[in-house]
Amino acid sequence: MARLGMVIDLRRCIGCNACTLACKQENGTPEDIHYARVITREVGTYPATKRTFLPVLCNHCEDAPCAQACPSGATWIREDGIVMVDRNKCIGCRACAVACPYMNRHFIERGLLENGYSTDGLSPYEAVKFTEFEEGTMTKCTLCAHRVDAGLQPACVITCPTDARIFGDWDDPQGKLQKLVDERGGWSLLPECKTKPKVYYLDE
Amino acid sequence: MAFAHAVPDASGSRWIPSTCGMCLHGCGIKVLVRDGVALKIEGDETNPDNLGKLCPKGNAAISRLYDSSRVLTPLKRTNPQKGPGVDPKWVPISWDEAYEMAARELGRVRQDDPRKLLCALGDFQRILLWGWPAVFGSPNFFTSLGNYCGGSYHPVNGSVDGSFAAINDYERCNYWIQIGSGDGFSSHLHLSGSAKRMADARMRGMRVVTLDPRCSVAAAKADEWIPTLPGTDRAFVLGMAHVLLHELKQYDREFLRDKTNAPYLVKSDGNLLRNAAGKAMVWDSKQNLAKPWDEISPESMALEGTFTFDGNCVRTGFQVWKDILADHTPERMGEICTVPADTIRRIAREFVEAAQIGSTIQIEGKTYPFRPAALNYYRGSQSHANGLFDNLAYKMFNMLVGNIDVPGGHLGVPLDHRGFFVSPGEDGVLKPEPHQLHPAPAFKYPPDSTHLMEWFPIGFDAGQLNTETLLDPQRFGLNYQPEAMLIYHSNPLWNLPETDKVEQIMRRMKFIVAIDIQHTESTQWADVFLPDRTFLESTLLNCLEPPVVTGHSLRQPVVEPLGDTRDAYDILTELAERLGFRDDWNDLLNVVCGFTAKPQYLLDPDRRYSDEELWDRYARSIYGDDHGLDWFKQHGHAVRYRTPEETFLPYGDLRIPFYFEFIKRTGDQMRKNLEQAGVPNWPLDNYQPLPFWKNSQVIDDGARGYEFYAITFKESLHTFADTLVMPWLSEVSEKDAIHGGILMNSATAGQLNIRTGDRIRLSSPAGTIEGAAQVIEGIHPQVFGVSNAITRSVVTNPRVKQKGSHFNRLLTGSMQYTDSATGGLESTARVRVEKLS
Repeated sequence: MARLGMVIDLRRCIGCNACTLACKQENGTPEDIHYARVITREVGTYPATKRTFLPVLCNHCEDAPCAQACPSGATWIREDGIVMVDRNKCIGCRACAVACPYMNRHFIERGLLENGYSTDGLSPYEAVKFTEFEEGTMTKCTLCAHRVDAGLQPACVITCPTDARIFGDWDDPQGKLQKLVDERGGWSLLPECKTKPKVYYLDE
Repeated sequence: MAFAHAVPDASGSRWIPSTCGMCLHGCGIKVLVRDGVALKIEGDETNPDNLGKLCPKGNAAISRLYDSSRVLTPLKRTNPQKGPGVDPKWVPISWDEAYEMAARELGRVRQDDPRKLLCALGDFQRILLWGWPAVFGSPNFFTSLGNYCGGSYHPVNGSVDGSFAAINDYERCNYWIQIGSGDGFSSHLHLSGSAKRMADARMRGMRVVTLDPRCSVAAAKADEWIPTLPGTDRAFVLGMAHVLLHELKQYDREFLRDKTNAPYLVKSDGNLLRNAAGKAMVWDSKQNLAKPWDEISPESMALEGTFTFDGNCVRTGFQVWKDILADHTPERMGEICTVPADTIRRIAREFVEAAQIGSTIQIEGKTYPFRPAALNYYRGSQSHANGLFDNLAYKMFNMLVGNIDVPGGHLGVPLDHRGFFVSPGEDGVLKPEPHQLHPAPAFKYPPDSTHLMEWFPIGFDAGQLNTETLLDPQRFGLNYQPEAMLIYHSNPLWNLPETDKVEQIMRRMKFIVAIDIQHTESTQWADVFLPDRTFLESTLLNCLEPPVVTGHSLRQPVVEPLGDTRDAYDILTELAERLGFRDDWNDLLNVVCGFTAKPQYLLDPDRRYSDEELWDRYARSIYGDDHGLDWFKQHGHAVRYRTPEETFLPYGDLRIPFYFEFIKRTGDQMRKNLEQAGVPNWPLDNYQPLPFWKNSQVIDDGARGYEFYAITFKESLHTFADTLVMPWLSEVSEKDAIHGGILMNSATAGQLNIRTGDRIRLSSPAGTIEGAAQVIEGIHPQVFGVSNAITRSVVTNPRVKQKGSHFNRLLTGSMQYTDSATGGLESTARVRVEKLS
């Protein structure tokens, strides 16, 4: 058993979107679908202004509302806590997208897989990658389960230029995640939703 | 399960080491390839440059390789009409026909007058090819090249310590002032590794203070953001220098006295005092007399003071600058840059305290001065019409605390593996190396080049001057009119100021040949298009401006080249052969590859070499015969950390210039040359030995009714023109308000009754642009900001939205807006603003 998750250090993060693009090329998601994103916001008024960068991805919640909402059993949770969706069982009802308060569920519209980032078919890369998707079903961040199973870290983690993303197991007593949160304080998104996210943030 | 994702498995996938080509710098990468298809690019963790990290551009490179709008076969134009938006009616042709056409037309020009070829060459990683026009016989650069960012920056770096760029010491700096630069946050000098080093430095408590008109990433992440007006950062720094010299009286006297020419005596005419033997003189404060600089003990050498010599008044170079700065008070400077005087005083005090003047550090058994405070700067701070003064001011402010090339301080970054270009010059001072990309051109009248390179002996290639010279050639004595153009991975209609004038010149071309990956604003004017290969399909060895490492990284084909494309080296070599100058081309490569110094590697002028043969020789000539291309293919790179000896005090026992007499003397010589040639009214006012405040044309334009300033900027998603039309990158930047339109401050928007989304027009003395307003807090109220992400107008991929707020239309390409000493362009413009809807 494990509880895989991530801590994102907002002091280190520079909002560069390397994670966004590393995720894009790792997963080859169709147009406009990003499992990893960076939400930028401006706070304060001039000249006491800051821009903040919040990298987001599926929180792989322990009490995942998407899993509770899924009527077909397509959404399932691995033993290590990764929230998965089985496209063979998914009926595309999008209940999970409605249930997820983080907007981290993505529906693959009809026709989306006919063309990649062009108007005349798939590139050789897309021809390989798009075999992982099915129109009319949901897709989502798998915490790069395929990499994790091969003993690797998620794509967004290894590429991060500032080492802002720390991947690990919340249950690992020697692990870094709990230690970082204990040391610097940590918070998760929308705690009021009581989803028990496994992605935590360290303040600026 | 046969997984489509990027994990090597038993099905024959493999990682191939290579070098990223999404910006000019070249981080180490590895590419996962299966069945001939590139599936994933990751940073190469064995490469100490980027430590396995990769920025978003590198992560998006696969989408460029496979972009459906790439040109994959040679093309011929069939529509004789040319212009923006005019369909060239391309038809595919064979390479032989394409070469034949290009060679015939270029051959005609070459026979007539080779200078009639205008060349727009880019592609920084293939810098070895930039000499092709010179072998053809044309000196002309019809593009902005590095001048837009570094027109004044590179010459000053080269003059101070033989470096090409500079960066503060990520590892040891404790107080980092960042001005108009994305270093460590969003751009410049190997972003991926630099971002890691900057983040580590901030985590250990390094303080960052950022000056920028806009709340850039560097400003957002800084401990303190100080908004300034564009082009006035020098005022802030001169104000701080005033505080150090006149108020706090804290500066590194020992460094200035022993490691610079600051103690050298200056006569009232601005030249150094020399004895009959021509030796620069200093003042012996014990014996109270002038002595040659090398015949005195350091302790006796006066750093400051005004003295009488032979009845004339002489001052040390240091004293001259100190006197200049006497009226550069924080109050006066603060008014110029719109920063409160108290802030200038406070930052100056914090900086000099953090510099720990007098302290030392032991590194690998050697003792060095330790100055953990430094000022770092790049384009925004100094790409201005007084850019030479900007650069001198920033360098000299660093010199005041003795931090040049010492641990913790401001470190030179060499151009490439050859390291710092250091050799003895005059008076014990190192020889200035303002030109590192080509030899300094000799003065000539009439000029040969359309961008007047012969008139910039310490400058860069001022491509922006092409419009002024070509549309008014008599004024400059230019006695020929160009007829043809070679475009190679460059986009003059996008990167030069005053697009309408660039168009006028392009209209005059009887023939244009373009080498590129995709169509651009400029290649749409071509008669023949020769498709190049992307960095994932070609070979070279790369080492360009790495901040903390050195050594080459191999770019190699990771997939079979798509379509019927050729490597640009092969294209230019074939053209050289067909034009009958392959022998001269090989000779030039012998020089630029450094083979002339190692004759066993010299190319035979009578033989044609493939790109692999060339790079194999290049590798062996540097790393030895057992380190040829095969070695690199296996190992990927020979990148290692620079040693302390290679990093610190590269000038050794030589002094570095503080009083830049050679700049003044160069100006004096230019004055003579121009007088002799009978050229009237050529400005020479920036050939000054020391920086001070003076207004630029941009500041004066305020009085002409141009109330606001316009700036352009880039962040990590984008760099040069290529990335702006990549769908993976643009779909992300389109979601960020910073790239959503023309940025303006909310208070200004309130006054002008403008809301986000309203169409607005910016008009400068040079031109106008339109776009949607994006109202934000994080920008100076007098400034409008245009992300480079919204500047392209020719977009070939159907998934990328055309934005077309082409910032460079606002800039003026003339001497009035050019640094008269370096040729650096003015990258900000004054504008009026109108609401259109």
